[in-house]
Amino acid sequence: MQQPMSHWRGLLAARLALGLVLLYLLIPLAATLVFGLSGGHGWGDLSALSAVFGDPDFWLTLLTSLGLAAGTTLLVVLLLTPTVYQVRLRLPQGRFLLEALALLPFAVPPIVLGTGLLQEYNGAAASSPLVALLSLGLVPLLSNVFPLLDIPLLLVCAYVIVALPFAYRAIDNSLRAVDVRGLTEAAASLGAGWWQTLLQVILPNIWPGVLTAALLTFSTVMGELTLASLFNTYTFPIYLNMTGQNDPHRAALLAVLSFLLTLFCVLGMVPGSRLQAGAGRAALPGQIEGAGLR
Amino acid sequence: MLVRARDEREVQTQTSVASREIGGQPQRRVWRLAGLIAWSVLIPFLLFCVLFELLPVIITIQGSLTNGGTTGLSLASYQRLFAQASNLRAFQNSIALSLVTALIGGLVGAVAAYGLASLRQGWLRNLLVSFCSIAANFAGVPLAFAFIATLGVTGFVTVALRNWLHLDLYTLGFSIYQFWGLVLVYVYFQLPLMILVTLPALSGLRPEWREAAVNLGASPASYWWRVALPILFPSLVAGTMLLFANAFGAFATAYALAQGNINLVPILIDFLVNGNVTVDFGLGDALAVGMMVVLLTVVALYTTMLRRANRWLGR
Repeated sequence: MQQPMSHWRGLLAARLALGLVLLYLLIPLAATLVFGLSGGHGWGDLSALSAVFGDPDFWLTLLTSLGLAAGTTLLVVLLLTPTVYQVRLRLPQGRFLLEALALLPFAVPPIVLGTGLLQEYNGAAASSPLVALLSLGLVPLLSNVFPLLDIPLLLVCAYVIVALPFAYRAIDNSLRAVDVRGLTEAAASLGAGWWQTLLQVILPNIWPGVLTAALLTFSTVMGELTLASLFNTYTFPIYLNMTGQNDPHRAALLAVLSFLLTLFCVLGMVPGSRLQAGAGRAALPGQIEGAGLR
Repeated sequence: MLVRARDEREVQTQTSVASREIGGQPQRRVWRLAGLIAWSVLIPFLLFCVLFELLPVIITIQGSLTNGGTTGLSLASYQRLFAQASNLRAFQNSIALSLVTALIGGLVGAVAAYGLASLRQGWLRNLLVSFCSIAANFAGVPLAFAFIATLGVTGFVTVALRNWLHLDLYTLGFSIYQFWGLVLVYVYFQLPLMILVTLPALSGLRPEWREAAVNLGASPASYWWRVALPILFPSLVAGTMLLFANAFGAFATAYALAQGNINLVPILIDFLVNGNVTVDFGLGDALAVGMMVVLLTVVALYTTMLRRANRWLGR
């Protein structure tokens, strides 16, 4: 069919806009790479690179962040997968509750969450009878336990909440694409229990969604500064911030390294999301957004 | 409801032997027990959310009404919030920054998403979508440093413009460390995010609708104006709201860029509760509640629009 001219003009404008956007996204990356590698003494000066890798704090904080990210990812998957599965399977009336809990972090940015958590576990609120009652006595207990631990467990718990909206979306979408009820009934008729069904039947069917959730969580934690700074934990983004203020060339190199880290996380998601796209269900706006922390 | 009835039937058949002997009463009790067991799987997650999601919010609200726990019930922290012009200025800056970047990101991102959706080559489309999700996730401190390396005083593009075009951005009044500089940086993560959230909505536009419109004599312009845009409108507004919330809560990017020298609400809260000298949870809580009020409005609009979008494009 002959398309009218104005249609092509519109299409051309849209592709032009796309080209400009891509240019806008690529230029800072390229400039950062060049800037980082040019060091203080012209192009090809790799002293900044060796300075980065020779810094013990670089490895220390990278390790801390990797540990935090791994812990958070594990906790997110462990908490969410059984819950979302059970709601899909038996408790459709619990869906609204889950949706609300997964939406709330949009209205409670990390800086607000951190302010609340600081007061909950370090401040006067820890000994308030109302808080103790509402938390079944767990807040006073935990506020005594957290300082004794070697690992920043409270930070991990906060990260779980930060990652909740994206991780929930990813897992819920993938569960929607499979026949949870049919699979469960088939498994039950073969004698499988609830956990066995979840681990051996459901999980193999939804692993792309779980992987996406895990990688989104992982890359979120690797880049998170706000809460780590509030809780005084020396993580990779804090190191990045401190180093970058003194040496912009080193900062540029570290930014490139962070970009590569994000790249690997997203590349890990691609096969998963393609499988899900193959399931034929178009995600709706707001269901596939990135999780990066601004 | 259907599922509940089905569960009930299952449990009934399981317990029918027992209940025939004792009577009708235990049946219901057993069903209720099964319901409780079904809910019990959710306990760890729900308890976790109470401890680390709901209680912090409740405590923040409580703190804002008791001046950080130092007084009884009072509006002192809100009075302090409104008494100082810099606090209101911070809200003004934060809202302006979020609005400007959400509108730029929303408009340009939506058009670019259409350009992306119109690409014929599947591999290219996939490549660009992956690149967009990387760029949308590339934020915070590294992004701030990337922009300092690009458009800072000695940044690559700044120097290139100065050497080649004799154009000095910084003598022209531009600074990456101020409002419009921050707009440029925020737009970097807003654009790809808008593309990602708009693509599914665009793919929900059925070709039949265009064909029907063309058959009825519509020009491409009137197809867009009368058919496609009204259908897409709720999705586009929802996407823009998401961008707004995204920018409004952003802390790390602005902090790494300006090191606290720009007056935004998250930076102000951090200064109050994370200060080295004194902490003021009362005012911090009041500001935090202010943020939540703004964001709840945005999120409410977002969900309303999303529901409306689902009517045409959804499940």
